[in-house]
Amino acid sequence: MFRLLYGCLFLSITAGFFVHLNLRPEVHFFWERLPVFSAIYGFIGCIVIILGSKAIGHFWLQKKEDYYEKHEKVRGKN
Amino acid sequence: MVEWFHPGLIYLLGSPLIPLFRGRLKKAYLLLLPILAFVNLLFISKGVFLSEGKTWTLPFLGYDLILGRIDRLSMVFAYVFVIASFCMMVYALHIKEEGQHVAAYLYVGSTLGVVFAGDLFTLFFFWEIMAWSALFLIWYRKTMAAYGAGLRYILVHFCGGLCLLAGVLLHLQTTGSIAFETFPWGGESSGIPLASVLILLAFVVNAAVPPLHAWLSDAYPEATVTGAVFLTAFTTKSAIYVLIRGFPGTEILVWLGAIMAVYGVVFAVLENDIRRLLAYHIISQVGYMVAGVGMGVMGTAAGEMAINGAVAHAFCHILYKALLFMGAGAVLEVTGRSKLTELGGLYRYMPITFHLYMVGAYSISGFPLFNGFVSKTMVVQASAMSHLPIIWLMLEGASIGTFLHTGLKLPWGTWFAKEKPVRKAKEPPINMLVAMGLTSFLCILLGVYPKLLYHLLPYPVHYEPYALTHVVSMSQLLGFTFVAFWFLRGKLYGERTITLDTDWFYRKAGKRVIWFCEKPLMAFANFVDEKVMNLVHSLIWFSRNPVFALHIKKEEAKLKVKRFMMSPKRAEEHAQVLVEKRKSYPGELPKLTLGASLVLILLAFSLYLIMYLLIK
Repeated sequence: MFRLLYGCLFLSITAGFFVHLNLRPEVHFFWERLPVFSAIYGFIGCIVIILGSKAIGHFWLQKKEDYYEKHEKVRGKN
Repeated sequence: MVEWFHPGLIYLLGSPLIPLFRGRLKKAYLLLLPILAFVNLLFISKGVFLSEGKTWTLPFLGYDLILGRIDRLSMVFAYVFVIASFCMMVYALHIKEEGQHVAAYLYVGSTLGVVFAGDLFTLFFFWEIMAWSALFLIWYRKTMAAYGAGLRYILVHFCGGLCLLAGVLLHLQTTGSIAFETFPWGGESSGIPLASVLILLAFVVNAAVPPLHAWLSDAYPEATVTGAVFLTAFTTKSAIYVLIRGFPGTEILVWLGAIMAVYGVVFAVLENDIRRLLAYHIISQVGYMVAGVGMGVMGTAAGEMAINGAVAHAFCHILYKALLFMGAGAVLEVTGRSKLTELGGLYRYMPITFHLYMVGAYSISGFPLFNGFVSKTMVVQASAMSHLPIIWLMLEGASIGTFLHTGLKLPWGTWFAKEKPVRKAKEPPINMLVAMGLTSFLCILLGVYPKLLYHLLPYPVHYEPYALTHVVSMSQLLGFTFVAFWFLRGKLYGERTITLDTDWFYRKAGKRVIWFCEKPLMAFANFVDEKVMNLVHSLIWFSRNPVFALHIKKEEAKLKVKRFMMSPKRAEEHAQVLVEKRKSYPGELPKLTLGASLVLILLAFSLYLIMYLLIK
């Protein structure tokens, strides 16, 4: 299974070089000149999304599951 | 010969009859309605009915309501709504509660009403039906969480609806027209009219644009298993439709859309509930469409590409998002659980559900040969053609997050992740699997043969999705996202938490408002109430015998003076007499002669006359 994956990754990189060297596609932004830009962006982007979101979550947004109900329970006891 | 028949009416008129049928006949009837609507749409497309123009105009308060505005844009949305409603009804066919089916078809019918509305009054009318019919799909879950979320849902939508109504009336006042066309938005000479701002606000509430989006991620995961599938499609995508009609090429939407796309992704990382995770991805995906509408400047190649992209993405999104919610719903249906921390290892029991879900996951991630690829890349391409580098990077970044969550984190955490399955499970009922199969087929069909979709789009399509560059860059992006996921998969286990979102403001602030009402406001109200009642009682007492009452009051005043001036004994005697008098009150009423009564009446009239003259 993982061999297949490695094969696909390798294929996508070589295809990237092939496309850029042979077909000379239309380029809108400077980074598109790099044949492996999408691979790098995908890899780094994924890491940034995971770590960045988890940091925001742990330091700020994530609360215990009864966060909204807590107040009601206290009132119920009274 | 009938000139035209409204497809929405088939649902709206058909839904009240659902409880009349039983057993298989009911199932057949439920499936018949979308088929009839589809045939109706074919009649419109093929020219049997009116296929372009405005029809079904009704006079109303001196204005013309237009129930049927038919063009390529309304038709493509109508097609996808009808097709999706068929697949969704197959999924919901095992539900015994008729109310759910009635609510679902009222919801679909009113959305079609919005799509074909040619004027703002008709739009508002169907807009409101859409809001409250959706509410029942949430409340039918019958849990406390669902009741709360449903109430918050409808309150937000009522606010949105009121903005729309206010905007429509202001628009009518300034322009004198109720036609639903592009709204004025800035320009060389004038600023942005308030009416347009209010209407845009109402539209972006329904499109779930942050910070006005929290109703979606709050309510959809609390809806019934089958109701949530319906909910994914109609409200947000009809909002995209009205945005295309009313605000194409509005720049602020480009940024709002791109922020939405990333926002949904960030929140999806933190989410533990699988249906809420998918709900955040609705926000993210609708972001592409909103950005597409914003880039849709009329008369430019990039603008036409952007509008085509937004419409195509709405079309594809409805199908694959329904499929994803069907998969997550199937897990909830058979296990009763929807949290990643309580799921895992289900592949052994539910392999078919897993594979069908993955078709939706590949589609939303934009894998080549799946429908997301042929539509999402159009919007991204439009951002490149419009030379918007930051937008391009944000949209591509959101693609990474989409694959990461719906394609990797969710299925991994639900069907794998744990060595031993968390509990025994089985495949869901056959109709659910059939619905998922049908929707999967449509996702792949449009991915393999995108021309089917491109033929329906409002503008001619000059875009080749399977150009080698697109395929290669998408493969690199997705492949290396997987590599990064595999390295960091340990960080992506579900956590037993909830994530604060902008609903915090009204959920927490709401509690404060209730506290304010219950405590200080209530105390003040009681105080006022008590004082008023005291006054009323004394007035009643006084009116029983005013002459005697005045006498008692006079004696009371005298007593106070006596207590101060004379000996306590005499004062005490006086007090005794007063108590006796009070007891005998009201006593014998004074008898007035006729003449005296007349004088009193005349006196009252003269007072009244004086007051009248003074005020006048």
